Amino acid sequence: MEYAFLLDMTRCVGCEACVVACKAGNELPIGRQYIELIDQVSGTFPDLTGGLQNHRCYHCTDATCVAVCPTGALFKEDGFTRLNRDACSGCGYCVQSCPYGVPKMSGGRSSKCDACASNVSGGGRPWCVQTCPAQALEYAERDKILAEAQKRLDAAKAHHPNAQIYGETQAGGLGLIVVLPDDPEVFGIPADPPPTPVVADVWKNVIQPVSMGATAVAAVGLGVLGVIARRNHLAELEEIEENGHAEVSASDSMGEGE
Amino acid sequence: MTGSNGDQQILRYRKRQRFIHLLMASSFLVLLFTGLALVWSPLAWLAAGGWSRYLHRIFAVGFMAVPVLYVVLHPAGAKELLRESFSYDRDDVAWFQKMYRYALGRTAEMPPQGRLNAGQKLHHSAVMVFSALMVITGLILWWLKFGLAPTQLAWTAMIHDLSMLALTLLLVGHIFFTFVYTAWSSMASGYVSKEDMELEHSKWVEELETEAAEEASA
Repeated sequence: MEYAFLLDMTRCVGCEACVVACKAGNELPIGRQYIELIDQVSGTFPDLTGGLQNHRCYHCTDATCVAVCPTGALFKEDGFTRLNRDACSGCGYCVQSCPYGVPKMSGGRSSKCDACASNVSGGGRPWCVQTCPAQALEYAERDKILAEAQKRLDAAKAHHPNAQIYGETQAGGLGLIVVLPDDPEVFGIPADPPPTPVVADVWKNVIQPVSMGATAVAAVGLGVLGVIARRNHLAELEEIEENGHAEVSASDSMGEGE
Repeated sequence: MTGSNGDQQILRYRKRQRFIHLLMASSFLVLLFTGLALVWSPLAWLAAGGWSRYLHRIFAVGFMAVPVLYVVLHPAGAKELLRESFSYDRDDVAWFQKMYRYALGRTAEMPPQGRLNAGQKLHHSAVMVFSALMVITGLILWWLKFGLAPTQLAWTAMIHDLSMLALTLLLVGHIFFTFVYTAWSSMASGYVSKEDMELEHSKWVEELETEAAEEASA
């Protein structure tokens, strides 16, 4: 079952309750937060556009961070991008590759929103959803969230003629469905994030397992062959010792020995 | 020099060459395992937090120092290695055709070989090429990682990994032949049995004898 968040930016009042609830609930260290409210302003006065960007993981279905993660610490589950920090080697490729700039290093490992995996596995809801006082955040099955987003959009159109749903198709469909009051660029969000590099898939799903397998097969195979070949060689040396030693010694005129 | 069992011994690798080999072998193994820690989750705890990654960089410097030190410490040996590793003669071609026999431990009918047999030449040149790829992609990942687009990063990491795969397979083969032909002493003491060399590198022994004869007559 695919789940998703609804983030209704036509209702978000910028109170930062979600930021605090997330940080406290997930016991994030000082200096680290999974949600950031960013004031986006563009244009020159008096022609300014902008608004609040509720910056957080978009939980891409076609997730570049998952594709480049060499250890499998980042993975997809229930429509979300989860992170098993124990399996993270801290290579930083996800930090480097995310089109939204979401994962950050913390304590030598990657850290990002995992949609409160520990809360929802116990039947609860993510911290940010529990806390939002403006009903700007919801959590449910993805099709229900999409239907709710459409309702919110219809209602918002009266005040925000440019309002739109973001996340239905981007990056293979997002696990965060956003109702935006205006075009995504206005809030500093890429309208269409670049697709996951194919080479990353090949690297992770073909090259890495094949490399490990080939090395293991070569080591075991040559180990067995080595025992046989060494036996052959020693037998050959013995034969030379018996039959051909005289001629080998006869030509042995160099050096100081014997 | 005479070995413990009375075999006549000849010097194959000087102390400086053995030191360079040791530096290359040790830094390679450290790089292999600290590199594996970055991409293989059961070892990821070594890399997270950083200390295996610092080791990776320290030994990367050691690995990159190998060719530089070889040229500085033993220019003649470095030149000889380069020249011989990239030049093949008819005997080498014939040797390749019978290589499976050599891999099975049978040397008696192999074509005569010089100081390096054809397989060693190929091994050396492959090690040089893949090490160069390793170093170039490694330096990019070290210094330019945060300037790379996701596709460029994936390509660089993939070439780095594939070069390491090639070098690791070459190492497995290297250990295999060392074991089959009891070649450990050449890099431990530097000396090898002359009898073995007459069997496996007869043209080299002839060369040495000619040189010794020329020296004696001079």
